[in-house]
Amino acid sequence: MCTRTKLLAALLACLMFLTVGSAFAEGETVTINFWHHYSAQSAENETLMNVLIPAFEAENPGIKVNAVSHEWAELHDKVLVSAKSEALPDVARCDIAWLPEFQKMGILVALDEEMPDFSEVSGKLLESAMSTSIIGGHNYALALNTNSKIVFYNKAMLEAADVRIPATMDEWIEAVRKLSGENANGQQVWGWNEPALAGWNICPFIWSFGGSLTNDEQTEATGYINGPAAVKAVETFAELVKAGGITGFNSGDIPMTDGFGTGRYAMMLEGPWKSAELAGAYPDVAYGTAPIPAGEGGSISVLGGEDIAMFNSANKEAAWKFMQFMTDEFAETEMAKCGQIPVNKAALESETVKNADYAPFIEAIQTAKARPTVAAWSEMDNDLTVAMTAVVTGEKTAQEAMDELASKWDELLK
Amino acid sequence: MRSLNRTKIRSMVCRYILLALGTVIFTLPMIYMISTSLRPNGALYEYPPRFFPKWEALTLENYCYILSQSKFYLNFLNSVFVSLTTIVLAAALSSAMAFVLGKFKLKANRLIFGFIILSMIIPGTTMIVPQFELATKLNLVNHLWGLIPFYIAWVIPFSTFMIKGFMENIPGEIMEASWIDGANVWTVFTQIALPLASPAVASVSIFNFLTAWEEYPWANTVINDTGKRTLPIAIAGFFGQHQFTQWGYVFAMSVLTLIPVILIFILCQKFFVQGLTAGSVKG
Amino acid sequence: MLAQPFNGFENYREVFRDQTFRTVFVNSIVYTLITVPGQMAVGLLTAILLNGIKRFSVTFRVINYLPVVTSWVIASLVFRYIFNTEGLLNYFLWKIVKVTSANIRWLDTRWGGISVAMILGIWKGIGWNMVIFLAALQQVPADLYEASEIDGCGAWKKFIHVTLPGIRGTILFALIELTIGGFNVFTSIKMITGGKPAHQTDTLLTWMYYKAFSTGRFGYAAALSFVMALCLGLLAVVQFRMMRSRDN
Repeated sequence: MCTRTKLLAALLACLMFLTVGSAFAEGETVTINFWHHYSAQSAENETLMNVLIPAFEAENPGIKVNAVSHEWAELHDKVLVSAKSEALPDVARCDIAWLPEFQKMGILVALDEEMPDFSEVSGKLLESAMSTSIIGGHNYALALNTNSKIVFYNKAMLEAADVRIPATMDEWIEAVRKLSGENANGQQVWGWNEPALAGWNICPFIWSFGGSLTNDEQTEATGYINGPAAVKAVETFAELVKAGGITGFNSGDIPMTDGFGTGRYAMMLEGPWKSAELAGAYPDVAYGTAPIPAGEGGSISVLGGEDIAMFNSANKEAAWKFMQFMTDEFAETEMAKCGQIPVNKAALESETVKNADYAPFIEAIQTAKARPTVAAWSEMDNDLTVAMTAVVTGEKTAQEAMDELASKWDELLK
Repeated sequence: MRSLNRTKIRSMVCRYILLALGTVIFTLPMIYMISTSLRPNGALYEYPPRFFPKWEALTLENYCYILSQSKFYLNFLNSVFVSLTTIVLAAALSSAMAFVLGKFKLKANRLIFGFIILSMIIPGTTMIVPQFELATKLNLVNHLWGLIPFYIAWVIPFSTFMIKGFMENIPGEIMEASWIDGANVWTVFTQIALPLASPAVASVSIFNFLTAWEEYPWANTVINDTGKRTLPIAIAGFFGQHQFTQWGYVFAMSVLTLIPVILIFILCQKFFVQGLTAGSVKG
Repeated sequence: MLAQPFNGFENYREVFRDQTFRTVFVNSIVYTLITVPGQMAVGLLTAILLNGIKRFSVTFRVINYLPVVTSWVIASLVFRYIFNTEGLLNYFLWKIVKVTSANIRWLDTRWGGISVAMILGIWKGIGWNMVIFLAALQQVPADLYEASEIDGCGAWKKFIHVTLPGIRGTILFALIELTIGGFNVFTSIKMITGGKPAHQTDTLLTWMYYKAFSTGRFGYAAALSFVMALCLGLLAVVQFRMMRSRDN
C-alpha cells in the first residue's frame, strides 16, 4: 500500500512536471498569437487557416502563427480583459471603431515610430483606409480591409408584393410595410431585418435622415443625437418595428442569413461578406443590391473596416512580418474572394477584385460616414443599444430616450 | 381484506402511471436534443417543425462533422485532463483534512471547520473577479493550470465535509490498536482511514468530476486559445456565431459530451445516492 | 496589472445607485423565490411517489436524475432551442393545443426570458431534491405512520403531521443549498438570453461578469461580489439559526 502511494505520488509529480513544462516551454520557433473575428465556419477563416497561414509559415520558417477566432463583441472584451491580465496576443484584427479605445489604454504599438520600414509598407495601402489608424498624429495599425453596407433585397418577394426598389426613405417605409405580413405557409414575414440596435445598425438611418451623432469636434452630443432629424429617424424605425415590419435584434429571432435565405426577411443592409455567405449557404436565393435609400441627408451608409494592430507585449519582429504579409497583395487578393474588400492598391487592380463586382460597395464607401472615433465609443454604443431598446419596446418615446442618451454621451465625451 | 388490497393496488397503479408520465415529460427536452442532432442542418427551418425527423431524413452527418474536427479531440482531452487531475488532487487533500478534523482534537479544528462552512456558502462563481486577479498575479491565465487549482479549491469544502462524516464513523478502537502497534500518523491515514472511507472518497470524486467536466464560467474567463478550451466552452463557442446558428452541430457535440457523464452516472449511481444522502440526512 | 487607484467606497455607492442593479437584484430574488420552492415541491412529490413502489424504482431514480448531471451549458442551449420564437413549443401551443393565438416571444422580453431560465432551473433541480427527500422519507419511522392511522388521520393529515416534521432537517438543508444556488445562477442566463434585452434579464452574477469583463470595471464588480457574499452569508446564518431552533 505504501509503495503504491509512493508510485501514485511520483506519477502525479511527473504528470504535473510534463504539463507545466510543456505549457511554459519555448522552442526555437517563435509563435505569434493572432486574434480575429472571422467566424469559425466562414470562408474567410478557411482561407486564413488553410491558405494564408501555411503560406506565411512556409515563407518564414521559424515563425508559427496561432490564430484564435472570437466572436466580434467577445474579441473586444477579451482584449480589454487580457490587457489587465497581461495576456494580450501579438497581433489582432480590430474593428476600426476600437482603435481609439485601445490606443487610450496604451496597449498599441505606434508603428510609424517603431517600425523603420513603416512608410514603405503603408504606402502600398489606400490612404483613406490608413487614415482610420491615425490617432494623435501616429499610426497604430495597418488597414486590412474596408467595407460599407448596402441593401440586399429578395427579388421574388418584391415582385410578389409589387414593390419597387425603394430609392427614398419614404418609399422605403412604404416598401417595408407592404412586404411584411404572412407568407403562403401562414408564417410571419418581415420587410426589413436589422440584427442589432447598435451604432453599426442605426447610424445609417440617423445620417440618411439628416441627423448626426455629435458635433464635428466630437465633444458634445446634446443638440445632435437628440436633434429633430435623429429623433425622427429613431421614431420611424421604432414605429416600423411595432408595425411588424422590422425585426432581427431579439434573441429569439431567426438569424439574419437563414431568414433572408428562406424568404422570411425581404430586405437587409449588409456588407460584401454577405454575398459569399449566401453563395455558400443559400445559393438558390435570387437577390439584388441597391444603395441605402436617400433621406433628407442623402444616401449615407456606415463606414466599416478592420485594421491589423500590434500590441506592445508582442514579439515585434515576427508580428511585423505577419502584418506585412496580411496586408500584401497575395493575402488581400485571397481574402477578396471571400468578400473582404482589399485596401492594398495592387490587389485592387487584380482580376479577382475586378470580377468580384465590388462596385456597389465601393460607391457606398465613397459617401459613407465613420462612427465617432473616440475612446469612449464602446460604452457610447452600449448606451445607444439600451436607449434604442427602450424606444422599440415603447417604454420611452424617441425624444425622451435620445435626450437621456445625449446627456450620457456628453459625460463620456468630456 | 379484499377492499384493502384493491385500494392498495389502485394506489400503486396510480403511482406508476404518474411516475411514468412525469418521467416521460421530464425527459422530452433531452430526447428532442438527440433527435435534432440527427437531423441535417437544412431541415432546421422546416415548417411545420417536427419532434422526430422523418425516417428518411435521419442522418449522422452532424456527428461526422464534429468527429472530423481535430479540435474536438483536443478539447475532449483537455476536459479529461482537467477533471482527472482535479479529482485526484482534491481527493488527496480533502481526505487528509477530513482525517485530521475527524479524528484529532486540535484547537484549530473549529476555526478550520468554520472556514469550510464559509466557503460552502459562498460558491466560486461569486468570487470570479477576485479569483481572476489572483490568477493574473500567478500568471495562470490562458493555461489549463489556471483551472485546476481553482476547481480544487471549490470542491474541497464540500468533499471534506462529506468525508469527515465517514471518518468520524470509523471506530476509535481500530486506530487505538494501530497506535499501540507503533504506527505513525501517515500509516494510519493511508492504511486504515483511507480504505475505510473509500466509499465516501469515491462518491465525492464522482461529484467533483462532474463539476470540473461541465464548468463553464471560470473556464470561459481564463482560457483564450481555441486549443486549450474545454468541452463546455467549445460547445458555447459553436453557438456564438450570430448569422448561422447550426443547432445540429451544437447538439451533436453536446450529446458526445454527455455520453461519458451518463455512463459514469449509470455505472456509479449507487455512490451518488450515498454521497448525497450522507450529507443531507445528517443535517 | 494596470494600476487602479483606491477610491474608498465609491464603487459601493455606484453599485447601489445604479438603476440596472435594482432590476438585476429583483430578477435574482424572483428567480430564487420561484425555483427553490418549485424544485423542492416537485422533488418531494416525486420522492413520495417513488417511496411506495418496489419495482423499477432504480430506473425511475436514474432517469429523473439525468437532468441534474446534464451540464448547464447543454441544458440551457436545449431550452433555448425549444423556447425559440419559431420553435417547437410555440408551435405546439399555437397550432396543436391552440391555447395561444400567436408565437410567444419567450426569449425577447424580461419576464419571458427569466421564465425560461426558471423553468430550466426547476427542471434541472428536481432529480436532486427527489434523491435527497427519498432518503429522508425512508428514515421516518414506520410506527409514527401507524400511530397516526390509528388516530384516524387521512393521507393529507399524515403528510402534514408525520412526514413534514420527520424530514424537516433535510428540508432545511435543501433550502440552504438551493438558495445559494439560486443566487448563483449564471450559465443558464448567459446561454438563454445573454442578458438581453438591454440587461433586463441579467441576474446578479451575470451583471457582475458584464461589468468586470465587458467594460473593464473591476472595482465595481468586486464591490458587487462582496455585497453578494455578505447577503449569502446573512441568509445562511438566518437559515442555520432556523435549523438550530427547530432542533431545540
